[in-house]
Amino acid sequence: MADEVKLDISPMYEGERIRKEDLWIEMGGPKTDGFELSLSAPMDEIQDGKVTVIGPEPSEIKPGSTIAFGMIFKAGGDKIEKDLESIIERRNHALLSYVSGLMHLNQRYDIWMRMGNNLQKKGVTKWEQIFKPIIELYKAEMPFIEKLEVTIITDPAKVKEELAKALDIYITRDARAKGLHDEEVDVFYGCTLCQAFAPTSACVVSPDRPSLCGAITWFDGRAAAKVDPEGPQFAITKGEATDLVTGEYVSINEMAEKRSGGEYNVMKLYTFFDAPHTSCGCFETIGFYMPEVDGIGIADRDFKGPAPNGIPFSTMAGQTGGGKQIVGFLGMGVLYYFSPKFLQADGGWNRIVWMSKALKERVKAGIPEEMYPKIATEDDAKDIDSLKKFLLKVNHPVVNGVVRPVDGQKVTEGWKLEEVTDDIKEKVIAFIEESGGDIDVAAVNEKLGLTEGQFMQVIEVLQDEGVLE
Amino acid sequence: MVTTKGSFAVEDMKNVQINIGAVVKEEEEWDQPMGPYPKPNVATLRDWDFKLANRYKIFYAPADDTCTLCTYGPCDLTGNKKGACGLDMAGYCGKIVLIACLMGCCAHAAHGRHLYHWCLDRFGDMKFDMGDEILVDSPLYQTIMGTKPKTLKEFGDGLSYVEEQVVQLMAATHTGQEGYYGDFESKALHAGMLDLLGMEICDMLQIVAYDMPRGAADAPLIEIGMGTLDQNKGVLIAYGHNLAAGAEAMIYAEANNLWDKVDIGGVCCTAHDLNRIGLAAGNPSIPKNIGMKPKVAGAMGWWRKMVRSGVMDCVMVDEQCVFCDVLEDTQKRKIPLIATTDKIMLGLPDRTNDPVDQIVDDLVNFKMPGVAVLDPKKAGEVGIRTAIAVKPKRSEAKAQNLITDTQFKEYLEKCTGCNQCVFVCPPHTNIGDLIQEAVKGNLEPFSALYETCVGCARCEEVCPQGIPIMDLYEYANRDYIKGQKFKMRSGRGPARDTEIRAVGAPIVLGTIPGVIALVGCSNYPKGTKEAYDMAKEFADRGYIVVTSGCMAMDMSLYTNEEGKTIWEQFGGAFDGRNVCNVGSCVANANIADAAIKVATIFAHRNHRANFDDIADYILSKVGACGVAWGPYSQKAASIATGCNRLGIPVVVSPHSVMYRRSFMGRMDKPEDWMVIDARDGKMQQIEPAPEAMLYIAETKEEAMLEMAKLCLRPSDNSMGRSIKLNHYCDISIKYCGKLPDDWHIFVRDAKDLPITYKDKMMKELEEKHGWKIDWKNKKITEGPLRPADVSFDPTNIPRKIRAKK
Repeated sequence: MADEVKLDISPMYEGERIRKEDLWIEMGGPKTDGFELSLSAPMDEIQDGKVTVIGPEPSEIKPGSTIAFGMIFKAGGDKIEKDLESIIERRNHALLSYVSGLMHLNQRYDIWMRMGNNLQKKGVTKWEQIFKPIIELYKAEMPFIEKLEVTIITDPAKVKEELAKALDIYITRDARAKGLHDEEVDVFYGCTLCQAFAPTSACVVSPDRPSLCGAITWFDGRAAAKVDPEGPQFAITKGEATDLVTGEYVSINEMAEKRSGGEYNVMKLYTFFDAPHTSCGCFETIGFYMPEVDGIGIADRDFKGPAPNGIPFSTMAGQTGGGKQIVGFLGMGVLYYFSPKFLQADGGWNRIVWMSKALKERVKAGIPEEMYPKIATEDDAKDIDSLKKFLLKVNHPVVNGVVRPVDGQKVTEGWKLEEVTDDIKEKVIAFIEESGGDIDVAAVNEKLGLTEGQFMQVIEVLQDEGVLE
Repeated sequence: MVTTKGSFAVEDMKNVQINIGAVVKEEEEWDQPMGPYPKPNVATLRDWDFKLANRYKIFYAPADDTCTLCTYGPCDLTGNKKGACGLDMAGYCGKIVLIACLMGCCAHAAHGRHLYHWCLDRFGDMKFDMGDEILVDSPLYQTIMGTKPKTLKEFGDGLSYVEEQVVQLMAATHTGQEGYYGDFESKALHAGMLDLLGMEICDMLQIVAYDMPRGAADAPLIEIGMGTLDQNKGVLIAYGHNLAAGAEAMIYAEANNLWDKVDIGGVCCTAHDLNRIGLAAGNPSIPKNIGMKPKVAGAMGWWRKMVRSGVMDCVMVDEQCVFCDVLEDTQKRKIPLIATTDKIMLGLPDRTNDPVDQIVDDLVNFKMPGVAVLDPKKAGEVGIRTAIAVKPKRSEAKAQNLITDTQFKEYLEKCTGCNQCVFVCPPHTNIGDLIQEAVKGNLEPFSALYETCVGCARCEEVCPQGIPIMDLYEYANRDYIKGQKFKMRSGRGPARDTEIRAVGAPIVLGTIPGVIALVGCSNYPKGTKEAYDMAKEFADRGYIVVTSGCMAMDMSLYTNEEGKTIWEQFGGAFDGRNVCNVGSCVANANIADAAIKVATIFAHRNHRANFDDIADYILSKVGACGVAWGPYSQKAASIATGCNRLGIPVVVSPHSVMYRRSFMGRMDKPEDWMVIDARDGKMQQIEPAPEAMLYIAETKEEAMLEMAKLCLRPSDNSMGRSIKLNHYCDISIKYCGKLPDDWHIFVRDAKDLPITYKDKMMKELEEKHGWKIDWKNKKITEGPLRPADVSFDPTNIPRKIRAKK
């Protein structure tokens, strides 16, 4: 049994960096193997507080060196099940970082940890001296953990071996999370965390619609509601859907009415337009409807300067928060862009015409391949005119009408001229005369700045007026 | 959505009309309806003031028990005796506080009034525009006045309002007017609020007119310290708070390519403002980035040390915080002095209407020790030309002013060890010991205590031997003075709306544990280092640290083990783990503005003419705490009082007992802590958060403990509460060696407990406080004052009760 060492533990040390000069031992990181894994296990298979070490102890490691490192936590308790594993694992970063002299970066197979000289000076010689207090922290932070033990692996061959097993587990977990859809669950989760500042905010988190703040997925909601039934996240029994395409559920409407103090009684999950989700104020990104192109643009929080609609993020966000339903604007979380139900009632990605560049890059994997080049960024369009030109050039679905993939229904008609002016008529006549009757759609787009539909609209008027036959 | 004639309006976005392609106009007013209290009069917000005063009891410990304010007196007020006019002790204390707050308020408002006329004269009227990222551009103005200024000229309404109110308040201090201390305090709170407004007007005017940064988190690092002033050039010092003349000096130097001949150093807040000039891009009359050129000589507390160090050739003073014997100090050293505003003229001849050549000639040839030149443009030119021309002529005087080795020894020998200097020294430095050590050839103690010396020169005043003790300090610290070269981030101005949006939820929920505003003049014993220590402690802990004025300068004079100043260790954003310098004294308004912006931008409270509503929000939900460290000037008193009215508690240093007043909550009186739950109007007792409004701390350690505690708010969620409590307990253990006595009062639920102390605390709750614990589920089943409830919506204002639809 090693001597107990008094560690400095506080949230203030989260974010502390251990520099090279202060380095005692480096674990994992870009130069070697490293991983972390948290597993649930039956109570009788866990010896609470136990720290098992496979490989050298800190005192046996040459100061300043980098070692392969793995840590496997096993947690047990009445309420613990497989779903909670990644929730527990995600707390590693914060809880390990609370220890002064211990740095933890990244996650899973990517972890990069350092111990500083100050820990050596304090008298740390064994892993147990660090991880015993960590186990205590875990149990204080997550009271549903009744028993917790950890295995520390510093033997390089054993790290390799266990890392391979861990990778399989990560893959299985991810597949489960990605593969889980609203149809497959019976319960959604509500969150009232933001009611402190947005009193009518009523947030719903479903597998296909993560929270707009980006902080809570369905799994998080589930874990939180389970372990803390009196907390801000609570279960909503899904019940019957009024409309599966827009994502309208009787239960959600009831929740919205109750939590908003009667302000809203309809709230739909997958739409921008009719009774959209409330926006609290912490949304990561904001979507805005541009009637001129009948499409939706999205700007992220860090986007400076005006969007093509002429309004900067701050103004749009300023008008949209406070827990209100604002038609034409919607706060959305970054994870929602990876959802198959992303604005499905409005045409999904087919309706997105503009995104701030940084955001588009960030969510690239979520954007259907064929749509990626068709969505403008600030490099392509700074105002509505240049956006129109861009959309015409790439033949964006909004130009000729958006068909929503979910049920093949056409949800927009495509661009129409509000008024066929004499000016336009003259230009079209001149164009027809010039082209000698051999009309090419690309030339119409380019030379007249009109869509095929708009061009036909003018032709029809000209026919009605008898100018053309 | 309504589409009409090619344009459309969006429901709930009434002020934005979109036409094909662009925003055509923002309508003349904004979408907020006019609130209940535009341009509040003296008594308009009295209800709110009394709410504060009922919870935070006014505590007086008068420094002076004799009233000498009128010729009925002097009146002895001890032992509940009334004065001849009928005023009692409490009333007298309240009256003094009101007068002090009015002095502070007037200093800033008059500064603003001067700049108002000057800027309009100099640049003409300009559009008031804070850029795309700051749309709530004058939060105090809008909250108090109920209008939005669109041009600089329109700020005149605000100034007139402040001036009118000040006259009303001052009238109330006449003998035979107000007599009740509570009403004096309500009036002082009014004066404090007016001060915030005056400061905001002043800063907004100069930001626009002088093209200063509008919320630049990455404002440039500039040079600070006596050692940065280039001794190969003529050194012009601009000292005070009003940038007008200093700015003209810079513009003159730029236009005439004189920067290789002259160095400009700012002292006190003028330094901040000179360094902000031209850092944005907007006003073509301002040379771009000219603010990078002057240096910051240092804070006001360093003045006497600076003048004795021989680093300057010419001084321009403008207004506020200028030592009254500045002329004596400069005259003795043949440093020409130019008084540039009518607030400080020091008996000097008014040469405003004389030709520049003549004035410069008189100064350079020492025909007169100084002049008053009240035209900033002319004063700037005189300053630059004098500094350059007088430099060679001063070399002899300069050498004579620095004491020699022989003189130093002679002075040491004159000391009789009578210790009179020690009795008057504010930090009680044992100057006799320093001298004894120096006699032995050890100058280290003189060096070690150089920063502790506050530069008041009282020691010299009382020394029967006439030893120039501050000159001894200078002699012993010549190397330090030469090497006093550091970096400071120049003043960034307001918090951007986007920053507020990002930190709004974490602040209100408590996961950013608080906003700490370090303001004031830290020339208090060890105050400079303490400014750095406090900033670092809280920035390291993830708080948003905001600072300004002399505090920002003083904290720049220290580095960490890597040689980095506080500005190089932390970013300059309005965000956790950042330290932002908002700018000069008047830029303090930006700190109050940030709190208002959390309520209005983030939480969508209407702020227009709605002061008490916003203050109520801040008091209940925005964990902010101000700190005025160092001597508590009248300006600091009015700023602190203004913050109090806005619901922001303030911790002040021991010097503040001068006003002998504090606002302290009583934990033992549950009735003081009843608030309304806005959801249904029910009354609810809350934990004492924040516990005090005006707290006097004796030491840095006590101040830090209190600062952490005063960031607690009833709206904290459990994670936020546990984080705030963790810091409160950590600081207590770090500096006091034990947990604070009252931590348990703030616990509503086991989830509120800081995880690192959780088990220990649960045991203590059970054993010491008799709470019931369900150990299996680690839950508290009985004990707390109230349950944790994230949707709890505390308010002190009945009109905030939400009517069910």
